[in-house]
Amino acid sequence: MSYIARRLMRAILLLLGVSALCFLFTEMAPGSFFDEMRLNPQISPATIAALRSRYGLDQPLVVRYERWIKAALHADLGHSIAYNTPVAPLLWSRAKNTLLLSTTALFLTWLISVPLGLWTGARPGGQVDRLVTLVSSLLISVPELVIAMALLAIAVRWHFLRVGGMMSADFGDLSAWEKLSDLLLHLALPVFILVLCETAVIVRHVRASVLEVLQARYVQAALGYGTSRTRLLVRHVLPVAANPAISLLGFSLAGLLSGSLMVEVVCGWPGLGPLILEATLARDLYLVIGGIMFSALFMVGGNLVADAMLFALDPRIRGEGNGADGH
Amino acid sequence: MKLIARLTLQVCLFTAACFAAAPAPEAAQPGEELARMPDVSGRYGGHLTIGQRSEPKTLNPVTVTDAVSREVIGRLMGDLIEINRSSQQTEPALAKSWKISADGRIFTLQLRKGTRFSDGNPFDADDVLFSFRVYMDEAVDSPQRDLLIIDGKPIVVTKLDQYSVRFALPRPYAAAERLFDGLAMLPKHLLEKPYREGHFAQAWSLNAQATEIAGLGPFRLKHYVPGQRIVVERNPYYWKVDHENQRLPYLDELVFLFVGTEDAQVMRFEAGETDIISRLSSENYNLLSREKSRAGSQLADMGPSLEYNFLLFNLNDLGGKKLEEVSGKQAWFRDLKFRQAISSAVDRDSIVRLVYGTRGAALWGNVGPGNKLWINQAIPHPSRSVETARQLLKSAGYSWNSAGQLVDSRGHSIEFSIITSSSNGQRMKMATLLQDDLSHLGMQVHVIPLEFRAMIDRVFQSFDYDAAIMGLGGGDADPNPEMNVWGATGTSHLWHLGETQPATDWERELDQLMQQQMVTLDYAKRKQLYDRAQQLIAENLPFIFLGSPNILAGANARVGNFHPAILDPYTLWNSDELYVRGPAIERAGIR
Amino acid sequence: MGIKTSILLAALAFSHLILLFAGFFAPCDPTTQDRELPYAPPTHLRFRDASGFHLRPFVYAWTSSSAGEQSDDYQENYREDRSREFPLQFCVRGASYKVLGVFKTDVHLFGTTEPGKLSLLGTDSYGRDEFSRLLFGGQISVAAGIAATAIALLVGSIFGLIAGYYGGWTDESLMGVTELFLSLPWLYFLLGVRAFLPLHLSTVRTFFLLTGVIGLIGWARPARLVRGLVLSLRHRNYVLSARGFGGSDFYIVRRHILPEIAGVLLTQASLLIPRYIAAEVTLSFFGLGVNEPAPTWGNMLSTLQQYSVLVSYGWLLAPAAALVVTSVLYSSLADAIHRG
Repeated sequence: MSYIARRLMRAILLLLGVSALCFLFTEMAPGSFFDEMRLNPQISPATIAALRSRYGLDQPLVVRYERWIKAALHADLGHSIAYNTPVAPLLWSRAKNTLLLSTTALFLTWLISVPLGLWTGARPGGQVDRLVTLVSSLLISVPELVIAMALLAIAVRWHFLRVGGMMSADFGDLSAWEKLSDLLLHLALPVFILVLCETAVIVRHVRASVLEVLQARYVQAALGYGTSRTRLLVRHVLPVAANPAISLLGFSLAGLLSGSLMVEVVCGWPGLGPLILEATLARDLYLVIGGIMFSALFMVGGNLVADAMLFALDPRIRGEGNGADGH
Repeated sequence: MKLIARLTLQVCLFTAACFAAAPAPEAAQPGEELARMPDVSGRYGGHLTIGQRSEPKTLNPVTVTDAVSREVIGRLMGDLIEINRSSQQTEPALAKSWKISADGRIFTLQLRKGTRFSDGNPFDADDVLFSFRVYMDEAVDSPQRDLLIIDGKPIVVTKLDQYSVRFALPRPYAAAERLFDGLAMLPKHLLEKPYREGHFAQAWSLNAQATEIAGLGPFRLKHYVPGQRIVVERNPYYWKVDHENQRLPYLDELVFLFVGTEDAQVMRFEAGETDIISRLSSENYNLLSREKSRAGSQLADMGPSLEYNFLLFNLNDLGGKKLEEVSGKQAWFRDLKFRQAISSAVDRDSIVRLVYGTRGAALWGNVGPGNKLWINQAIPHPSRSVETARQLLKSAGYSWNSAGQLVDSRGHSIEFSIITSSSNGQRMKMATLLQDDLSHLGMQVHVIPLEFRAMIDRVFQSFDYDAAIMGLGGGDADPNPEMNVWGATGTSHLWHLGETQPATDWERELDQLMQQQMVTLDYAKRKQLYDRAQQLIAENLPFIFLGSPNILAGANARVGNFHPAILDPYTLWNSDELYVRGPAIERAGIR
Repeated sequence: MGIKTSILLAALAFSHLILLFAGFFAPCDPTTQDRELPYAPPTHLRFRDASGFHLRPFVYAWTSSSAGEQSDDYQENYREDRSREFPLQFCVRGASYKVLGVFKTDVHLFGTTEPGKLSLLGTDSYGRDEFSRLLFGGQISVAAGIAATAIALLVGSIFGLIAGYYGGWTDESLMGVTELFLSLPWLYFLLGVRAFLPLHLSTVRTFFLLTGVIGLIGWARPARLVRGLVLSLRHRNYVLSARGFGGSDFYIVRRHILPEIAGVLLTQASLLIPRYIAAEVTLSFFGLGVNEPAPTWGNMLSTLQQYSVLVSYGWLLAPAAALVVTSVLYSSLADAIHRG
């Protein structure tokens, strides 16, 4: 019980820390939301100043932070300056779409990476292994934006996939089955890009740990005893090699809201990515901070799940107190 | 469970909205005065899709600040007097005629009778009064308020009768009727309540229902899908008719699709998913024109825009700030011969070729060839000469040391930085070309890309920069919007902000000229004044002018009446005249 | 060390040597613009001409196609100017450069005489030779990538080791710090840092800044990975017995734990090096990259982010190819060390 309480306290401290540092960082960054209007010779500085004070941007940092905390305790994350609507519903409506995209990608990534990593780790230097290494090097080295753009260019010419948005214009007219297929066709490209880029990283790690474990003595011994390779891989190697993979899973879970930003922007997927990216560049403060808070929650959740899995996998870890003496 | 109920409701509304066909234009009512466009013809039906780089933020015409939202709002709203983007002249719109008093201060506008908003409610002088009251209300903080304040005093709007309104300006203002373009007329019957209750800024946000919004534009809101698209449908009460007295617009629907980046815009346009693309970069234009034979599209190069890009030197008073390095360099920047030498050494040809892909124009003054009404043709366009530059520098007391570097009379080598916005690839390219050009003079120039707002902060606030490459202009061809740039106390007087008095003689003369042209009503006399102003600017080089991009736009071959213009909005200004060509008219809502 | 490892090491050393002496191996100066030849395709090395086969290859110069074709469609269509041949020469004198930043010389391994131009990988939008820029760019990029990875992994593993080994409150608080690091809006921090720094930074300073920033932001991930492993490792029987024998913490970490986490660290290194090299693309958006006209693979890659460039000028993909090769070499090396 006390473990849960500790994690909870840590989560709250984290949220407080992130929010405070957010405010500090946004204060550090030069420029504000209304700067673009300064370039327009037809708007006077008086209007700009009035707008700034209407949105409270000219208040000192501490005052603004205090006000924000008080409102946040009532689940009011402030107003977006650009949209003139409350932040929380705006974020939530987009976050749903992002979650749909990223959970699908997460599921598929791990579905592909783990077996592929196991295979290439068990047969290093083989044809599949060399192919995978080459392709994963390609995917890691080329910036994600370039990959996304290249795939978008291909998809747009190949008229089978629906590119852009989440639903077609006549979504309402479709039958339930057609609705599902429409959604899937729209989902296909962004999920494909995400899966490609993330699989490249995870396969590498799984492969490396599988390789390492296979060299261990007890594995050699088991082989000597005549255990089948599959059984060996699944029952003996995988649980041990899983340790770094679980931490990576934690990262994947933590990045459910923030990891797909580039892909969403390029493919026009109506998620959190384009919203937050624009808000960040435009200095739409409360929207940005709200988005970061959301992501921080997922970060906490993801790491919690990862730790839980680590402990489940290796119960010895739970030996608490000061680990140095093992009692 | 509430979530599911909400989702179901949304889906049902969606379905209903999609099923509803676009409304047919209403038959003309007796007593309704319609604006007849004798040159316009086309046919009804169909829809067009436009890709937008980002999502609109609001549908409120009074508080809107970003260009993307304005693109949508402009289709929904009507103005009293419009500027025809093609001819750049004003035309009667909701005001069928107007009279100007002899001293140019009183405008009496006659409104069209029988005009109705998109929800059927009548439009009259009460709505006009209400609209202007909202625009000028300090509590609302509209960015357009400053347009209506001349010399610190607001324009006084009075209702004469149900269909005529009088505008009293505090003093004569040249081309004052141009002010009315872009000031949307608001429905008093819908917006008076939020205005009275003090939350006008929250009215007509993207969450608003279609029934809450009514305007006098060719289209009205149909539905909005967050993060994906906005669909607007024909306004059945629109007050313009074509040459056969058929009520405009021709299109059933206009769909604004949020596409993401400019590259994604181009890709979708190439694939035929969007029908109109405006403001292409020259690389993308050339790319599309190469593929033209495959896709059926009409590409238009409308010639140089009104935008002018320039190199700006920091000539601000740095008294209070601790910027010794910059103030040391200002001795060079303030030297006219130094700036003239730089202007002579700039390779404007390469800028047009390499930055604009030959689709641009070199500039030596603030008014480029795109602005046919106001350009001073007598301003010289000297070609690039490094020799002349060297002579100028020598005569100003600069010399070259043994390493070939340029040094001033005190022996300091000339070294400075140029900042520019990292998101504007064209200006960054100009900076790199300039860096190379000036190295031929022995100057060491550093190119510093900064994030956009960080750059603005340095130019307007902290003054911590040496030189910058920026761009201005593009709003209107008329000189009046530029008052704040060239007026000595102007807020966009970028090279020397915060002046209370003109700092130099030529700035004083420029200030006087601009003030004079603002109150001169006769075009010929204004042109003379503005010509002299342009001459002063080109001679004294507060900005070293570089170039102006062409306006490039494209549309699918099936788009009829596609007439892009060099004034914003480049392709949608005549959205009421656009129609779909071809044998079959697709029904609204195509994959 | 097996044969494979030696070969890989030799290949890496050779490629890095080329980068180190970029001035010698590059035929042109990386910053000289040629405004008549933007986006020119690679010059073809030819062996055969009208008078037959030559052992020494030669190139033709590019000239623009006849002006008539440029009316509607601007693209510098280039054709070879067959009137003059420029044979390839070795140890030729060209643009001057500094070897290792110290010795000034102008000898290049190969090249052609003026006004011929040997651009093996074409030119960029200013007409600068892409091949030369690739070599010079590799100097900063690869060095920055390796340095940044080293910092991130060093800091990350120290944190991860401490957190994992001592567990309990140490673990909680350190992991809390990593979560903090992973959640923060680094965009604004970077903008703030940029505003704070002087406008012009020399290339060397920018280099240190790049590595520092990337390392500062990047240590959190390796820290968590290492911590997860160490948490499990510290309970292994051999560790417990080593402790029972009185081994100090330091000894145990060095002798028993470090070798086990080496695998993860090597894999991370092979992943991070190309990532961090490409990260300069994002950093330059905030003004923290290496400025013009100095080339790096990062700023050469940023031109590829335009669709029109990506589709029309394929030779500009060279830095991406170079990155892939680097990545493959490093990951094979990491793999070989791991298995060796």
